[in-house]
Amino acid sequence: MVQDLLLPILKHEQKKSGYISEAAIKRISIQTGIPVSRIFGVATFYSMFHTKPQGKNMIEVCHGPSCHLNGSFNVLKSLYKSLKIKPGETTKDKKFSLHTCSCIGCCDKGPAMLLNGKQYTLLDETKLKAIIKKCRS
Amino acid sequence: MQILRKTELKAYKKAKKIGQKGVIEILSKKGLVGRGGAAFPTARKWQFAIDTKSDTKYVICNADEGEPGTFKDHLVLEKVPENVIEGIIIAAETIAAKQAYIYLRGEYEYLKPKIQKAISSVLKRSGSKVKIDIVVGAGAYVCGDETAIIKSIEGYRGQAYLKPPFPPVEGLWGKPTVINNVGTLANVPQAILFDDWDPHLRLFSLSGDVTKPGIYEFPMGVSLKKLIELGKPKNPVKAVYFGCFGGCMPYKEILLTPENVCGQNCVIGAGTIIVVDNTHSIVDMAETIAKFYAFESCGKCTPCREGSKRCLDLIAKIQSGKATKQDCDTLLDLALHIHETSLCGLGQTATNHLITALKYFREEFEQKCKLH
Amino acid sequence: MISLKINNIDVKGKEGDMILDVAKRYGIDIPHFCKNDRLERIGACRICVVEAKGQQKLIASCCTPIREGMEINTHSRRVMEARRTNMELLLANHDLNCVTCKKNLSCKLQRYAEEMMIDEITFSGDKRLYEVDHSSISIRRDNNKCILCGQCTRICNDIQTVNAIGIQNRGFHNKIAPPFGMNMHESACVNCGQCVIACPTGALTEKSDIQGVIDALRSDKFLIAQTAPSIRATLGECFGMPPGTPVTGKMVTALREAGFDKVFDTDLAADICIIEEATEFIKRFKENKDLPLITTCCPAWIKFGEQFFFEELHHMSSCRSPQAIMASLIKTYYAEKIGKKPEDIVLVDIMPCTAKKFEIKRPEFTGEADFVLTTVELGKLFKLLNVDFINLEESDFDNPLGESTGAAAIFGHTGGVMEAALRTAADWLTGEDLKEIDYKKIRSMDTLKEAELTIGGKQIKACVVHTLGEARRLLEQIRQGTCPYHFIEIMACYGGCIGGGGQPLPTDKERLIKRTKALIDEDEHKDIRKSHHNKSAIKLYKEYLGDFGGKKAHKLLHTEYYKRDYV
Repeated sequence: MVQDLLLPILKHEQKKSGYISEAAIKRISIQTGIPVSRIFGVATFYSMFHTKPQGKNMIEVCHGPSCHLNGSFNVLKSLYKSLKIKPGETTKDKKFSLHTCSCIGCCDKGPAMLLNGKQYTLLDETKLKAIIKKCRS
Repeated sequence: MQILRKTELKAYKKAKKIGQKGVIEILSKKGLVGRGGAAFPTARKWQFAIDTKSDTKYVICNADEGEPGTFKDHLVLEKVPENVIEGIIIAAETIAAKQAYIYLRGEYEYLKPKIQKAISSVLKRSGSKVKIDIVVGAGAYVCGDETAIIKSIEGYRGQAYLKPPFPPVEGLWGKPTVINNVGTLANVPQAILFDDWDPHLRLFSLSGDVTKPGIYEFPMGVSLKKLIELGKPKNPVKAVYFGCFGGCMPYKEILLTPENVCGQNCVIGAGTIIVVDNTHSIVDMAETIAKFYAFESCGKCTPCREGSKRCLDLIAKIQSGKATKQDCDTLLDLALHIHETSLCGLGQTATNHLITALKYFREEFEQKCKLH
Repeated sequence: MISLKINNIDVKGKEGDMILDVAKRYGIDIPHFCKNDRLERIGACRICVVEAKGQQKLIASCCTPIREGMEINTHSRRVMEARRTNMELLLANHDLNCVTCKKNLSCKLQRYAEEMMIDEITFSGDKRLYEVDHSSISIRRDNNKCILCGQCTRICNDIQTVNAIGIQNRGFHNKIAPPFGMNMHESACVNCGQCVIACPTGALTEKSDIQGVIDALRSDKFLIAQTAPSIRATLGECFGMPPGTPVTGKMVTALREAGFDKVFDTDLAADICIIEEATEFIKRFKENKDLPLITTCCPAWIKFGEQFFFEELHHMSSCRSPQAIMASLIKTYYAEKIGKKPEDIVLVDIMPCTAKKFEIKRPEFTGEADFVLTTVELGKLFKLLNVDFINLEESDFDNPLGESTGAAAIFGHTGGVMEAALRTAADWLTGEDLKEIDYKKIRSMDTLKEAELTIGGKQIKACVVHTLGEARRLLEQIRQGTCPYHFIEIMACYGGCIGGGGQPLPTDKERLIKRTKALIDEDEHKDIRKSHHNKSAIKLYKEYLGDFGGKKAHKLLHTEYYKRDYV
């Protein structure tokens, strides 16, 4: 049963709370009988799980070679300009977290990124500004 | 495109009629091989699972298309998810599995509703009792490896383990498990149903420095030049990368067969073509890809865990202008070492890009080095 | 039989044998880190790679089964270079502080580096840097020396099922630690030290108490040592003696030379422990109450039980461990006898065990034992104090706490406590002096062993387990009410105390068998082989303790257990 599997449980927790907290891991351990140390090991293995609180909006910029060729570096630069954060960081107002991620399969529409799991493609500075503005409002 | 022809459960009905033996025979005769990159005959894989006695068996659809520059499964799942589901229930009923999983990579989670809809619709219309669950990954390239998928579904860290036993003999929770790629499973109903189904057609994911990137369907052996010209590159093309793991070669005309590509010290794999034009540096590419591997290494075995980081360190040194030509040799030796001694497919191919880049574009690296 | 060639030598092996093991049988040692015969082979360290003719890539010999006609080269130029590069990669991420490392000269990483003549490390760059974890009473954890072979965590998770530590993060950032950045003290660690004996480097070592002991030896206090049953069978290994060499007499002399005023034998306490436990067992067996009874000599098992099976703890014997019995007797009976205040006596326990360091710090044992030194630490202490161990004359333990029986001798290996207890219980239940006292079935290295005896038409089912994973399975049976046994011995360490976390390295099955044999020999050569025939013990009861299992005995020789939260 898929709802009994650890990965979907952690996925749910990540989505619900924005991160997988110590308390959540302890709770899941009691529910599933899986030792805490193992759950923590799983939660720190996958790049889309976070064990520290994240910003309200999760930006994951594709760092694949196709997006690299199409200017993913400029995407990070633009985001730094408007958010003042580098990959791995969260804005002070806790509104945004920025990460780079491996290829998201939008190689024909790079540079691309995921914002809260949704894909945004063919990014440029104007487009990014509009996206950030919309998130802020 | 052949891959997008809908089968509308007719293949499933035919499979029911011709039975287990018939399905294996037809897939074997038509020459369906895995589309994930290893090109293993599908019928043989299924036969292993059939021959292994067990009450419980599983089918896993590998939808963890993580290879950078590859987006063909993405297209298939978006356009013809029903074909994939039909392939899954044919596979499951052929090997007598009651449960199937679709391991969908986390980055593709937005496709989940669409796939879920296709599952409900196909199961309802076919009356198949196979249970199909979607397990969404959480960001790990190594989970494209079949043993790592098994670990991941079982709720462990997605780290590859040693074969044998092979999954069709002992896989998910120790039970016989057939793991097939999305493309393979989408081809199953087509191969069963259509007499004119062409086993040689492949999907090529074309991206990079081209103005018309996309998925192109051609038979194996298509001209590289023809393919790239379809992509309409802006500038003169310098190099072609066969994904991250396939390595790179200077742009020239070859016919894209596994043997020909292998002759260039590359691997054609899943038909990924990343075009690099003369405005981009190969050293930058090397750095990007090395970063990718250092980020995605699961950390289980020494050469990949430590080596991929040291590769990145060496490239950074070259980029900084502080390196000497000897550092290029060290980088190549290390790349060969990782290729030779790593545990799983990820590690063994993680440095193909460096080995080939240093073979074909060494001067670009050396230009960045100090004179002595 | 499968025939193949290794380094051009014709060799043979069974189907399923791995290349590394076959090579070893023919005297070819292939270096390796992550292989452990008690664990699943994972082929992760890649130090054991070899070349197989016709294969493009190098293969891990620890987990590649032999095939007919294979031609293997274990030391070709290509192999040696690959091994060297892997070593260099590991060393590039190591702190290389060998001289100040506790594993200096006993470290596998260091040995291989020397054997492979690594005089330079090609790679440089970031290193993983960690704070050293001193928090645990028993175990020191220094991740800067960890090479991520994963043996410790697999032992902790798969064999012991304690799950105190685990692998975290990914790739280069992999780390083995307790979850959430907790330290070892806060973790579920039961201090068994099985990770310590598995660790090939100095990443996991016992917490050293040598300095404290030296300070005590140089003070004007009265120094007493007690030595656990297994030490005499393993201490010789610290001085290069073959495994299984009994060194009882030399050990006692050495302790005196080191400055101890009295050297007592924990074996006497083991006999007393049996007397108390057998009394307790017979009472429960006759009343058919709280069965099975579980032995409680092992402090790692006690903490494990307190954490994971608190509801089942009434099955545990209330009897203290021999260490704690001896400590109690020394600081009460013996202190009174020689007219000293307990605080003027410093008691140093020589134990095979890292968990004993934790046990003496339990609040209920405050003021009793002062230090625990492991076998390895004692070896180091003797070297530090320039004690010429090998050439020492032999001497006997001091009295009145020095006499022991064969039953106590075997406490040091798995099954020994049960065998000793059954000898006494059977005598008492039949009222005879039975001649059949060898329970050979429970002496093996199997992790679950059973013995049955019928007395007066009543059957007693006894069970012996070692390793905590095996204990967990039994406890779960008890929880579900399906456990068929009346009497259970549990030891946390594989092989019992001779395989303890403080024993000399390497501790492998071969050595464990030799150490066991030394203890069994000692038992067989003793005139008295039943605990309840120990004259000093009987005298002690008469003079001081009163009845077996009586009020005073309970006060001094028994203890209580507490529920512990764990993460």
